[in-house]
Amino acid sequence: MDCIKKKVNEELERGWIGCNRDCEYNPCHFKGQDCTFCYCPFYPCGDTDLGNNITGRRGNDIWSCTDCLFIHRTDVCRHICSEVERLGITEAGDPRFKDIFRDVKERFWRRGRALMVVGATSDAGKSLMVTALCRILLRRGYLVAPFKSQNMSLNSRVTMYGCEIAMIQELQARAAGLTNPDAHMNPILLKPKGDTVSQVMVLGQPYGDYDVEHYYSDFVPGPGREIVAENIDFLKKRYDFVVMEGAGSPAEINIYDVDIANMRAAEIADADVVLVVNVEWGGSFAYALGTVELMPECDRKRVKGIILNNLRGNPANIMPGVREIEERLGIPVLGIVPHTRLDLPGEDSQSLRGLRTKGDGRAVVGVIRYPRIANFTDLDPLLLEDVTLRFVQTPEELEGVDAVVLPGTKNTVVDYLWMRETGLADAVAALRGRVPVMGICGGYQMMGRVLDDSLGIEGGEPRVLDGIGLFDNRTVFGEYSKRITQDSGHMAIGDGGEVTGYELHMGVTETSEKPLFRIDGFVAREAWDEGSVREDEMLFGTYLHGVFDRPSFRRHFLSLVRCEGGSAVREEPRDYVQSIEENLDKLADAVEQSLDMDALMGILGVGQ
Amino acid sequence: MKVLVLGTSSGAGKTTFTAMMCRYLSTHGHDPAPFKGSNLSLNSYATADGGEIGMGQAFQAWACGSEPVTDMNPVLLKPSGNGRIQLVLNGRPHSDISRESPMDKALVLRTVHEAFDRLSAEHDIVVCEGSGSPVELNLMERDVANTGLMRELSVPAVIVGDIERGGVFAAIYGTWRLMPEELRPLLKGFVINRFRGDASILGPGIERIEELTGMRCLGVLGYEFLRFPEEDSLSVSDGRFEGDDPLQAYLDNLDEMVSHAEGSGFDFEGFLEIARG
Ligand code: SF4
Ligand code: SF4
Repeated sequence: MDCIKKKVNEELERGWIGCNRDCEYNPCHFKGQDCTFCYCPFYPCGDTDLGNNITGRRGNDIWSCTDCLFIHRTDVCRHICSEVERLGITEAGDPRFKDIFRDVKERFWRRGRALMVVGATSDAGKSLMVTALCRILLRRGYLVAPFKSQNMSLNSRVTMYGCEIAMIQELQARAAGLTNPDAHMNPILLKPKGDTVSQVMVLGQPYGDYDVEHYYSDFVPGPGREIVAENIDFLKKRYDFVVMEGAGSPAEINIYDVDIANMRAAEIADADVVLVVNVEWGGSFAYALGTVELMPECDRKRVKGIILNNLRGNPANIMPGVREIEERLGIPVLGIVPHTRLDLPGEDSQSLRGLRTKGDGRAVVGVIRYPRIANFTDLDPLLLEDVTLRFVQTPEELEGVDAVVLPGTKNTVVDYLWMRETGLADAVAALRGRVPVMGICGGYQMMGRVLDDSLGIEGGEPRVLDGIGLFDNRTVFGEYSKRITQDSGHMAIGDGGEVTGYELHMGVTETSEKPLFRIDGFVAREAWDEGSVREDEMLFGTYLHGVFDRPSFRRHFLSLVRCEGGSAVREEPRDYVQSIEENLDKLADAVEQSLDMDALMGILGVGQ
Repeated sequence: MKVLVLGTSSGAGKTTFTAMMCRYLSTHGHDPAPFKGSNLSLNSYATADGGEIGMGQAFQAWACGSEPVTDMNPVLLKPSGNGRIQLVLNGRPHSDISRESPMDKALVLRTVHEAFDRLSAEHDIVVCEGSGSPVELNLMERDVANTGLMRELSVPAVIVGDIERGGVFAAIYGTWRLMPEELRPLLKGFVINRFRGDASILGPGIERIEELTGMRCLGVLGYEFLRFPEEDSLSVSDGRFEGDDPLQAYLDNLDEMVSHAEGSGFDFEGFLEIARG
């Protein structure tokens, strides 16, 4: 405590400093944050609009400031500094800080406003519209949080606290300039288990299994509503705006009253709504009108604007229709967004449907396209290099590849059986030593000698299978539990470069192979070895999703690729994170240029 | 008898649904013919008499067990680059249309009407296929295959909506609402296409749409992978197929779809009733 006092005293003496870009943790909360009070003079303020109580290791209460963004707002910091100076305060713990706190909260703290983006169809472009709005509002100096009440996503990420959230909300948070996206932004996650039952995860933790009927009859009206309300409130207390994303269409009148992902969420959040319609397939005016008119009056009133998305061609051609629809609905069309080519990770398996290849580089990396493929956005960073991804479903398609990746799967055992049936397991084994082979998560498990599911946890019935046998590993699917962590560390081979990623899997792997990575420990965790490698046979395996994000390992792996005309590594190393940033700005530009921003800001309650 | 199959958007499944209905009718004692008033396509088929029609109608003809003829697709629009479109009438190139010399709609409609009359004189039912969405507000004035045909021939229509993308109720309702009032009475039924799962969950939504519009739901069709031979999956040269009898595979595929539809309780009789007018 004395040490903290000393720090605060230093801060008081130094005065306002703005954003400390020299700090290695910057931004620890959000882009452009104010660092004047890295240590807070109000600690512990006890105000749950800002921070919250957590339970310490000995069962004691600890005041946690991790969720507090308020103390990093510039206007707040400036005001505190001027008060400190006016009152001549020099010491931490001065009783007058209580008054300053009351005053500064009164002046600057507001509950944020919510805006919801719904789509006339599932492919309307809601996710990217939310992403764009997050970036646009960030650039205008606001604190923004994305939100989607209920998600069923194949691509997940792991938060700092070890909670699973959908990849797309993480991308949106990134667009909003947030460093630590958290489970409040995606409180309900549905994980399909078999055909009709889903595991419901709440705030990243398993909550219970429901079939469709009981999900709607029990979960939604009971805990579901509550969960949505609590989490929206949590975000509203901390952000200027919460930009919410709907799911599918908001006018599914067969489940209208229990559809907690669309207009019910808007009602709970008291959000205004904009409707996005994809014009690519035609019929967009019918979709727009039908969507709005099928809503009951009370919900219809929330819809404040329509965005026509993905237009190829001249907007002038559809203007007569636009005018007519505005007139008939009494809702303005805020803009027509042209089709924009972006390199951002795709949302769901939809984006893989019918896709044979991606990218146009020289080196062909064969990606095993299992029926239950998951977290395939792991592969996107490879496209920063001279690479074409070829999605492989038969041994024939594997012919002529320069490298192979076995990506993640929602079910290792079932997809491995598919690998054997199709002959792909043998075909991959035959490539040993000829081209580099990389397994990620489920793919890594398959590369081992044994997949021990003798309890039937993963595959449904008890089975012990021989794996592909590229590594002398044995994976045991023990109890029904999942490992969810965020990791960072270094390569145990090559130049020892940095890797980051996250683990998200069932099953534990015993290995005697040489480790691929050394993962840093932190707080209560020792450093440990991760993955397997046989450099002479060009075999790599890891549990780390996102393993190709950082250039070091990506380039090491691709340097082994011998394709026509040399290496697959591009000369200028490009950082995946950097490339995403550029694309987020490109997206925001395209949307900003096509929308009537004054009207949109008006909907958000901001006068120009 | 005549009926028009409309879609809530392009890709809603009109072409396949029309082919399936043709197949059903021809195997259930009828003599159907496919018809598409106007087609915008590069992908055409050369009929036995040397005319050109859209590929979709050729396949629909085979589904009927008959030979494709130009009357099945009397108007073909072939983009020829630079904003120019070649107008093909009755299978023969007629003229080029562009911004400066727009299409002569009266001529086109007359051609369509005459071709339809010839076709319906020879067959007991003509199953027409629309094009894109019928309520593209900015295109409606020039429309031939949808509202154009409805006006010209008073043909009753069913709407096919694709549920896979979501928003199918909104799409069907919106299409009905945006239909010009004088044509709305011709909208008799709708079909929900590409559904996966237990259809009973849709019940309340379907009832509501029936109530609001007076159209009847003919059924919910499951997700099907029709191996519909498009230009790249099948080569047709001089009107002959190559490969191991892809036409038979296509017909088998349609039979499978028909039997799935029958299994799901699709209202084929209702479809015929609508066609009877
Ligand atoms: S507030 Fe965060 S970013 Fe700023 S100086 Fe402190 S630790 Fe660094
Ligand atoms: S919650 Fe915020 S204001 Fe309160 S003590 Fe923590 S940092 Fe300071």
